[in-house]
Amino acid sequence: MTDLQLDYALDLMRRLPPQQVEKNLSDLIDLVPELCEDLLSSVDQPLRVLRDKQTGKDYLLCDYNRDGDSYRSPWSNKYDPPLSDGAKPSDSLRDIEVSANSAFDSYREMYFEGGISSVYMWDLDHGFAGAILIKKVGDSSPKIKGCWDSIHVIEVVEKSGGRNAHYKLTSTVMLWLQTSKAASGTMNLGGSLTRQVEKDSSLNEGSNSHIANIGRLVEEMENKMRHTLNEIYFGKTRDIVQELRSLTCASEKDKRQTVANELKNKFGANHAC
Amino acid sequence: MSDYGEQISDSEKQRIAHDFITHAPPGEVETVFSDVRHLLSKDGSAHGESMTASLSKYRVDQFTPVTVDKEKVLLTNHGKLDNNRFLDPRSKKSFHCNIPKVEISDIQPADVDSNAESWRNEIDNALAKYIKEHFPHGTCTVYGTSNGGETTIIACIEDHKFSPENFWNGRWRSEWKITIEDGNAKVVGILKTQVHYYEDGNVQLVSQKECKDNLTVSSEKQLADDVTKLIMKFESDYQLAINDNYNTLSTTTFKALRRQLPVTRTKIDWNKILGYQIGKEIGK
Repeated sequence: MTDLQLDYALDLMRRLPPQQVEKNLSDLIDLVPELCEDLLSSVDQPLRVLRDKQTGKDYLLCDYNRDGDSYRSPWSNKYDPPLSDGAKPSDSLRDIEVSANSAFDSYREMYFEGGISSVYMWDLDHGFAGAILIKKVGDSSPKIKGCWDSIHVIEVVEKSGGRNAHYKLTSTVMLWLQTSKAASGTMNLGGSLTRQVEKDSSLNEGSNSHIANIGRLVEEMENKMRHTLNEIYFGKTRDIVQELRSLTCASEKDKRQTVANELKNKFGANHAC
Repeated sequence: MSDYGEQISDSEKQRIAHDFITHAPPGEVETVFSDVRHLLSKDGSAHGESMTASLSKYRVDQFTPVTVDKEKVLLTNHGKLDNNRFLDPRSKKSFHCNIPKVEISDIQPADVDSNAESWRNEIDNALAKYIKEHFPHGTCTVYGTSNGGETTIIACIEDHKFSPENFWNGRWRSEWKITIEDGNAKVVGILKTQVHYYEDGNVQLVSQKECKDNLTVSSEKQLADDVTKLIMKFESDYQLAINDNYNTLSTTTFKALRRQLPVTRTKIDWNKILGYQIGKEIGK
């Protein structure tokens, strides 16, 4: 019964305005508290930022670096508020996590030219998993607010005695745009898209080879998603508005169509001669 | 957020259910209603009355079009009578609407405000022509009331297109209030657009604009023509401004958030990036 309830809850979150995802999720958890953990791990929310007190560097918060009410910083590996027994990656995985954080820091700088990134990893029975998070807030104009949140979750399973690995990537990009002008009133265009890809890659460059494989996969996915976001946000939703109200009069459109048909007939007749 | 197992009060449950139902995107309220019903209780039977009340508010807020004697009319707050009955001011009839099923029954002749009717009728006729020209599937319902020397006309416009097979739905609503007194007409309007795109995601456009202006009044016919021209101008300007925003958001805001490729115009050489990292480590 609870499985069904989770389906209803997730369907609801796919329909309600994404602009209020945090309030809706909190209300939903109040309504069905037994689904709390499932909902927190399956509903993506805009990424929140916290400052690492030890290193002074900002990091991103999500369900993957949360333990109870504390969050782990990828820079100092410490929980805030402090936890003595908070979940942490094994020593060898922490090494990969440290390298991944600096590699994706460079990636972020090259594609986003600003923003914040954080990578979190955790051990699995036959491999490991990670979350690569990027947040960029736009500040180009005071009248327009823009924000990009990437959440890439990767599952890695090593195969053939460690010569290659299977990667499963689930990526969600949230894009928030808001503008308020006298001519247009308020306009709020926001939400998220999710895509998945699986791939086998060889491991031949030592422990960094996982990061290179994950990096290429994330880069390709994010480039594709940027293209799709561009089409859906600025093409599709705009076309739908034009289907609701037409700037051109229907009678004017009919007239143009009649003229076009006449020309076509005339051209067709001439062509036949 | 409550801790696991902590139960909230019935009134809080109803408040949340109401928020969810009344925020359903266009064309999806039945699904949202069903989701909420199953989440409220396992057999879906609890809070039936308050949920129907929320659904009723949604239908009225969204200007739901219904067909009464083969003519389309909107369910709005301005035409709401007692006991789920609504007014169709154009045909001068009232009807009962079964809110969950949107079924119409018991159509009866209705009284309308005779002082406002000549104004209402002219504006209704002029707007009907405008709706036909600019709204491919539009419906308009115009109400009239009077109080002493003041006549109030309210025009509600709705157009929607639901395309669930392509994972999108959209709705346009506008509401215009024309207050006529002493040879002057005050025009106030609110325009709303909502679009939902949900193939492997949830993207929504929510937009709203308020407008106002004044007109001088010499006759019913002249006012109806001037009001229609004004509404057309406001609504077309709003639509053009939205298109402008789309251009700005796409060409500047979106581009500034994330580049298509790094400045080097090539994809990242991950071995090189990782090489630098190792170099940095060794250099320490």
